[in-house]
Amino acid sequence: MKFIAVIGTIAWSAAALAAAPVDYVKEIQPLLAQHCYQCHGATQPKHGLRLDTAAFAIKGGQSGPAIAPGKSSDSLLVQVISGTHKDITRMPYKKPPLADAHIALVRRWIDEGAKAPAGEVPGSKVHWSFVAPKRPEVPKVISKEVISPKDGKAAKSAPLYTQSLITNHSHPIDAFILARLAKERLTPSPEADRVTLIRRLSLDLLGLPPKPADVDAFVNDQSPDAYEKVVERLLASPHYGERWGRWWLDVARYADSNGYSIDAPRSIWRYRDWVIAALNRDLPFDQFTIEQLAGDMLPNATMEQKVATGFHRNTQINQEGGIDKEQFRIESVVDRVATTGYAWLGLTIACANCHDHKFDPISQKEYFGLYAMLNNQDEPDIPLTSPDDSKRVADIEARVAGYIADVWKKDAGIVDRELKWEGSMTPEQRQGMSQLWREIYDVPPVQRTDAQKLVMVTTFLENAPENKTHQAAIKKFRAEKPKVDTTMVMREAAKPRRTYLQIKGDFTRDGGDVKAHFPGALHPFKPAPDREPNRLDLARWLVDEANPLTARVLVNRVWQQYFGKGLVDTENDFGTQGALPSHPELLDWLAVEFQKPTPSPHSASPIPYSLKSLHRLIVTSAIYRQSSAVRPELQRVDGNNKFLARQNRLRLDAEIVRDVCLSASGLLTPTLGGPSVYPPIPENAMALGQRKQPWPTSTGPDRYRRGLYTFYYRATPPPSMNVFDSPDGYSTCTRRMRSNTPLQALALLNDTAFVEFAEGLATRVLKEVPANDTARLEHAFRLCLARKPSAAEANRLVELLKEEFANVTDAEAKGVKVPAGVEPKQFAVWLTVARVLLNLDETITRE
Amino acid sequence: MNQLPVNDPLLTTTRRQFFNRCGMGLGSVALASLMADKAQANTPALVNPFAPKGGHAAPIAKRVIYLFMAGGPSQLELFDYKPKLVALNGQPIPQSYIEGKRFAFMGSSHGVKCLGTRKHFERRGQAGTWVSDMLPYTSGIADDIAVVTTCATNLFNHAPAKLFMNSGSGQFGRPSLGAWATYGIGSEANDLPGFVVLQSGPRGPRGGAVNWGSGFLPTTFQGVPLRGQGEPILNLTSPAGITAERQRRTLDAVRDLNLQRLVATGDDEINTRISAYEMAYRMQSSAPELIDISGESKATLDLYGVDPAKPSFARNCLLARRLIERGTRFVQLYHTNWDSHGGPGETLEDDFPKVVKDVDQGCAALVKDLKARGLLEDTLVIWGGEFGRTPMGENRDKTGRNHHIDAFSMWFAGGGVKGGQTIGETDELGFGPAQDRCHVHDLHATILHLLGLDHLKLTFRFQGRDYRLTDVHGELIQKLLA
Repeated sequence: MKFIAVIGTIAWSAAALAAAPVDYVKEIQPLLAQHCYQCHGATQPKHGLRLDTAAFAIKGGQSGPAIAPGKSSDSLLVQVISGTHKDITRMPYKKPPLADAHIALVRRWIDEGAKAPAGEVPGSKVHWSFVAPKRPEVPKVISKEVISPKDGKAAKSAPLYTQSLITNHSHPIDAFILARLAKERLTPSPEADRVTLIRRLSLDLLGLPPKPADVDAFVNDQSPDAYEKVVERLLASPHYGERWGRWWLDVARYADSNGYSIDAPRSIWRYRDWVIAALNRDLPFDQFTIEQLAGDMLPNATMEQKVATGFHRNTQINQEGGIDKEQFRIESVVDRVATTGYAWLGLTIACANCHDHKFDPISQKEYFGLYAMLNNQDEPDIPLTSPDDSKRVADIEARVAGYIADVWKKDAGIVDRELKWEGSMTPEQRQGMSQLWREIYDVPPVQRTDAQKLVMVTTFLENAPENKTHQAAIKKFRAEKPKVDTTMVMREAAKPRRTYLQIKGDFTRDGGDVKAHFPGALHPFKPAPDREPNRLDLARWLVDEANPLTARVLVNRVWQQYFGKGLVDTENDFGTQGALPSHPELLDWLAVEFQKPTPSPHSASPIPYSLKSLHRLIVTSAIYRQSSAVRPELQRVDGNNKFLARQNRLRLDAEIVRDVCLSASGLLTPTLGGPSVYPPIPENAMALGQRKQPWPTSTGPDRYRRGLYTFYYRATPPPSMNVFDSPDGYSTCTRRMRSNTPLQALALLNDTAFVEFAEGLATRVLKEVPANDTARLEHAFRLCLARKPSAAEANRLVELLKEEFANVTDAEAKGVKVPAGVEPKQFAVWLTVARVLLNLDETITRE
Repeated sequence: MNQLPVNDPLLTTTRRQFFNRCGMGLGSVALASLMADKAQANTPALVNPFAPKGGHAAPIAKRVIYLFMAGGPSQLELFDYKPKLVALNGQPIPQSYIEGKRFAFMGSSHGVKCLGTRKHFERRGQAGTWVSDMLPYTSGIADDIAVVTTCATNLFNHAPAKLFMNSGSGQFGRPSLGAWATYGIGSEANDLPGFVVLQSGPRGPRGGAVNWGSGFLPTTFQGVPLRGQGEPILNLTSPAGITAERQRRTLDAVRDLNLQRLVATGDDEINTRISAYEMAYRMQSSAPELIDISGESKATLDLYGVDPAKPSFARNCLLARRLIERGTRFVQLYHTNWDSHGGPGETLEDDFPKVVKDVDQGCAALVKDLKARGLLEDTLVIWGGEFGRTPMGENRDKTGRNHHIDAFSMWFAGGGVKGGQTIGETDELGFGPAQDRCHVHDLHATILHLLGLDHLKLTFRFQGRDYRLTDVHGELIQKLLA
């Protein structure tokens, strides 16, 4: 274990704590933005006072200058934020006061002369996240020198930090976090034990628990790089792409249906598989971005690059009758702008759809400038077949069409019979028809064109029970038809669509042309001189080296997966209303390292934007490897664990809850990719939507696929996913909730799928371990939790075994399907044990 | 009074001792001894995220039963009597009414001519509320209900409009009214979810689970669909062959092992999980007990018109009463299908009367029954769809009306509502409001007010801003308040 040595005494470098002058841009301006701009910004400032530049603050408003440089006590600003002014009420008005530390910071800044950059422009490029990160120096935390608390005596609440400490700080993440812990006078936690570590790593990198043999191998590996070897093995596993693919699919709002009321199934799983494969081959994030946003526009775009553009096809499609299609096309563009804003820029650009952004420097016109780049595509489904197969399909369908046209020509009564048939259909039956059919249905028969009539007749011939003969003939034509998978993609239209400013975000109110352009407050970008920027330019602008946001936003969201929350808590709002980073230097260091990685002995010319490198960097830090146990003394001073003096326990994501139980059961089918599957779900779970969608429960290996392959209807999501907070696919999800509810308990206890997992686990334990209760218990326990039970836990489980042997009757035992080769009573008893283990909090938690 | 949670309700909800909440007794001894072993004063108390919370003001209504008429009932056949429209029957509607308006099925030629109702209207009750003959039972509670004829919404397609009526936004991902309510004031139910959804009619409501979703609030607060027959809640029934005793033994072992882990890690979340398992176990017996209506008197069954052997809207009304008696905070009933375009299965002539008949008796019985049991005064009952229907007819197979958002009728009764009145007045043709327009945001503000919640203060921070049910709108409808 290279990075960590635990020793008896500790020390911090005094240098790390030396007071530097207050930095206006980094420390003061964000405070003012967060607390004051709402009333004292550019728009109708209260009492004529603006605080959005230092110069404005010095100039002041109706009550005089707000700042007297060098004299904090005489400054109005300090008096009102500390509530000491005799006339003016404490500010911010009717909001919680600033933290004492922040007030002190403002005072120090004023006392140091209230220095700010010359020519400060209000609202632009000043907010910390709008300034491109520069690689900060890694703090030096020297281990020999013990410093005393700043005031020379230990504060009452400060813990003693002359305990255990990490002494090797060669890892930059550790250096940044430890420097901050020292400043807060907090000590980090010891490293978690090896079993916890390998389970943590496996769950974090693969979303699967480690096998007992892998646990043993790691625990017994005495080599200094034992940990690093595990990390490399896991990063090379194809299951890595599944675990982190799902992370990205949350952002992509991926699901398998069209949403809205009809919620018909769609075919876009090839996009999901593209994401998995791209992550597995570590496609650099800049290219990953470009292919998803505009793969179709790349020169000589490959089929795979087109498939990648499914990213922005994961919007809903409204197939309800009587809709204005343009309205819902526009809604999908609005969603694409919003998603792009949250996912790459971490900005609430969506707010500027209806009006200029109230807090961030994005005007409504600039919003539509971005919108224009996402407004020019056609949205086709493309076949994923060889050209030969495509031709065969086309030929066969041409023959079917010819047959039907022939019937139509020769059979004079066909239209009338069709009308009678459609008139006899119930609303529910009509809901089951295609969208085109339903649209034509709404046209009065006398007004229908021949083409429309032909569509109706075709449907009639193919579906009405009275047309058996025709159906047999058509079936014969299609017998040889190759199966064609399709996927949904973007395709830039030859003729650009007009974009106009939609007054108050209402697409019926035309506020005039808007040309495609980038927001002025962010980095400039030069597209080809002879045209407006397009979707491909947008993608390149997002991953431009000068972009101050994308890398920070991305590393923050990766960090969030490992620690439960990001260095910026508001992971989708890096704007002026967002939270400030808890560790700004670390965030910037990670962002720059992601963009321009440092060469190392491991790799002389490392690849920029490598996600695998980022994962490696984080999981090899000592900070990541800390124990997650709650420390009472730490809880009092840092209840939210902002400073990371320990790891956090995290309840697993919905899919991984399934995967962990499935792995323990021994039933897991580890196949990668393919069409979504239908594991068992509770009866009637699909009855809650407008249309009862089919659920052809999978049998055979597909019944036991990983959670991310479960078919996901937006309107009727699989219950065991939904109760564990799987995102709904309606809009981008950059952070999942972690709720903890009785419905989760019911799912784990009673859901058919989980009962099957328990049966699998019981069977497996009985078959794999000779008749020895202790050994069997230990094996079952390890399959679920990786570790061995404590004595107290083992005792409780032995007690349970006894209870079950005493209480389960023969009738009960024989009343269920017992696997071959297993004794019924044994099976019943061990089924209870298996259910207990699969229901433990720890089983579905990453420690 | 407690402050409302600002950010994380799970962290800030009222915390109560395990011993008080859990009620099982079995776990307490084990817990006590474990705690003593560890002697950690800081081991947190067990948490129930649904624990009742104080709102911003004393509530008038403590519970809500929302009768959602999915598909959009025609107010012009039920509550909004328009003789002028009858007089103009068959004439094109004056251009001034429809200029610049957008409708569903815009491209079609359906629906530009006035359609006068063929139903007979009369003034009912002491208040003289207009109600048509189609609603004989509802006519009988005219003095208990406040009919609002000038409700208005923004969206005219079913799924977005339903979402709007439930969450104040046509955008997906916002919490529904029931989620906001239980987030704001918790629930008094120990053994049942705080927000329950019941469904009847030929199909589920369009949009499905988002209608009762929790949006960006924790899923703890999403509506739990409960079916009146069979397994009432998904996964409620223990697996085949597992007796109640065996399930209990399983749960006891889960709890004891979780307690050991709690002591080892000190993580509060394990407390919540233990509470959740105990609640789940109680639900396994309380939910079947809830839907078992064999103990209801014949008089009650007759009042509602419930056939014990059949699922129905009336049966769901009865279940709604049983739910609120057991402390559930928010019950929402969906009944489909009110869509009446005039095509097969959707005609005003044949199909609409059937749907009206499906609900009339149950609605009235619910109000009467609540009143008789003294529950009406603090239970708010809401009746209405996602929008109404146009004054113009739509002629397909037979007669129908299109979707209409400018003015439609809803009614309110019970907790804090001044019954026996009609609020608002529509123009001569019933197209738009002549006075007292009551937008969805106003309805939401008023409903929250009745629950003791200030719609301006009930917020949740998400994606960089504080969200409200009423967005940046909403005025209290003073006339509705008793």
